[in-house]
Amino acid sequence: MKKIKNLGLLVLLIVQYSNTNAQTLNWKALDSTKHIVSVNLGLDYSLSYGLSYGYKLNTKLPIVLNGTFSIASGNTVFDDFKTKIGGQVRLFNKSNFIGAVSIYGVYRKYQTDLVRLQNFGSDMKGTIGYYKPKWFVAAEVGFDKAIVTHFKHSQQFRDEIYADVVDGWYEPATGGNFYYGLQAGKSFKRADITLNLGRVISQDFKTPLLVPYYINLGYNFRF
Amino acid sequence: MSYKNQILKWGSICCLALCMLSACEKEKYINESGNLVPRTVMEDPALPSINVNGAKLHAQAFGPVDSTLIICLHGGPGANFRYLLNCKSLADKGYRVVFYDQRGSGLSQRFPKEWYLDHGADAIDKTFNNDLNDIISHYKTNSNQKVVLLGHSWGAMLATSYAGKYPNKINGLILAEAGGLKWDDVFKYIGKSRSFKLWSEALNDAAYLDQFMTGKENEHNILDYKMGLISTSNAIIGDIKSNLGVNGNYYKSGRDGAVISAAMLEIGKEYKPDFSEGISQFQPKVLFFYSGNNKAYPDSWADKITAAYLNKEVVKVNGVGHSGMFDQIDTWTTFTEPKVIQYLNSL
Repeated sequence: MKKIKNLGLLVLLIVQYSNTNAQTLNWKALDSTKHIVSVNLGLDYSLSYGLSYGYKLNTKLPIVLNGTFSIASGNTVFDDFKTKIGGQVRLFNKSNFIGAVSIYGVYRKYQTDLVRLQNFGSDMKGTIGYYKPKWFVAAEVGFDKAIVTHFKHSQQFRDEIYADVVDGWYEPATGGNFYYGLQAGKSFKRADITLNLGRVISQDFKTPLLVPYYINLGYNFRF
Repeated sequence: MSYKNQILKWGSICCLALCMLSACEKEKYINESGNLVPRTVMEDPALPSINVNGAKLHAQAFGPVDSTLIICLHGGPGANFRYLLNCKSLADKGYRVVFYDQRGSGLSQRFPKEWYLDHGADAIDKTFNNDLNDIISHYKTNSNQKVVLLGHSWGAMLATSYAGKYPNKINGLILAEAGGLKWDDVFKYIGKSRSFKLWSEALNDAAYLDQFMTGKENEHNILDYKMGLISTSNAIIGDIKSNLGVNGNYYKSGRDGAVISAAMLEIGKEYKPDFSEGISQFQPKVLFFYSGNNKAYPDSWADKITAAYLNKEVVKVNGVGHSGMFDQIDTWTTFTEPKVIQYLNSL
């Protein structure tokens, strides 16, 4: 029952917040924008490359829907990847100070010779910063939660590590990491160059992560 | 159809699909022994165990009880003795061979991280050396029985530390690829042996996992599982899949000890232990192996580390990596074991 509740919560998150977005945006440079296509490269747990699409809704409160696909580096291209669906909404705008929240539903996959993990999770982030049409700088804080994960182990795992390992969906939430840092960008007529950087820490604030920092360089094309 | 309706439609479809998927299976708990990691001696009374120094350790012994005692010390801290099981063949040659999973490792009893940290600078003595002392007492049947320590990697560091502290209790040392004996060397070796390229599959496999599983500080089942996934292969040190032949049947399910591994690294960084302290008092010859395929252990490093031993025979084992002199049955049978027996006969 608990798992169904967790899954329900996940879907609720996706449904409730799917009118928000994932790209790093300059809210002051979106006036005549409908579509945003982005590429990015960075350290996101490991070296990753991503492609995103955003669609700005014609609403009173600025909302951008977004979908993101990223892959991790390595010899095997699609063994590890992450998709995010969601978006972001601008909450306030006072004297160039803008606050926004973004929430995404996450599906990610991890595969090695030993195991394949598939996870549904959520990623929620708040930003507040100073925005001008040509540039912006903002602080960001977020929480990336791995809500439910499916484990499928290989014969190699069973031979070398644990023969009786149990495959299937696992609960409770198998992981969660907080992150906080800065985002900044320089905007041009139809494009932005963005940078996010900061620190990642596990949800107990004690257990260290292998790569405890994130940095992401992005390019947005607006049209 | 409006955006809101479209979102609700697809959300409902996803919800239904996921619920159907999950409803077919029994719930599984990630932090429950037996699911992702095997049970320890605390949860499975069928496992062979001994009680020493306030801990229940997974242990097995083979061979005639009164003959020369060979105590096998695995690497880590936090690995387990499974990969050393080829050494069991020494029991058929008339030796008493003892394997045990160190405290907090393998299938032995777990302790919280604070338990180790609270011992401060004495942690290595009060845990590993005192455990080893009690293990020797447990298996030694008479005062004339010779005792030889066989240690690999961290196990070689521990064996050196023990022999330096109790030189008269040990008759021989068989060691392999101690990363370092002074803390600065240990730290350098750890860095060299894990210097993966930023874009490599190895680093990616280790780091990407952190977004799927993040066990809390003393959630042993989760942390041990994660450590098992990322410690199984390392191209830098040249290890490949263990080949134990039928010996693997004596220890079917391995498990790492992530908490003791993390605790000892913290203790090492803070107190900078010297594992070579007192080893100059140890008179018998030391037999020291190192491998040809470990890129972090070149000849120059072997020379540097073995300089601490007064009387030694240093042997390079070509064609294998860090653990290969023990965990590759062909290498063990044709090369390592004959050297070991020759050494034991010389004591």
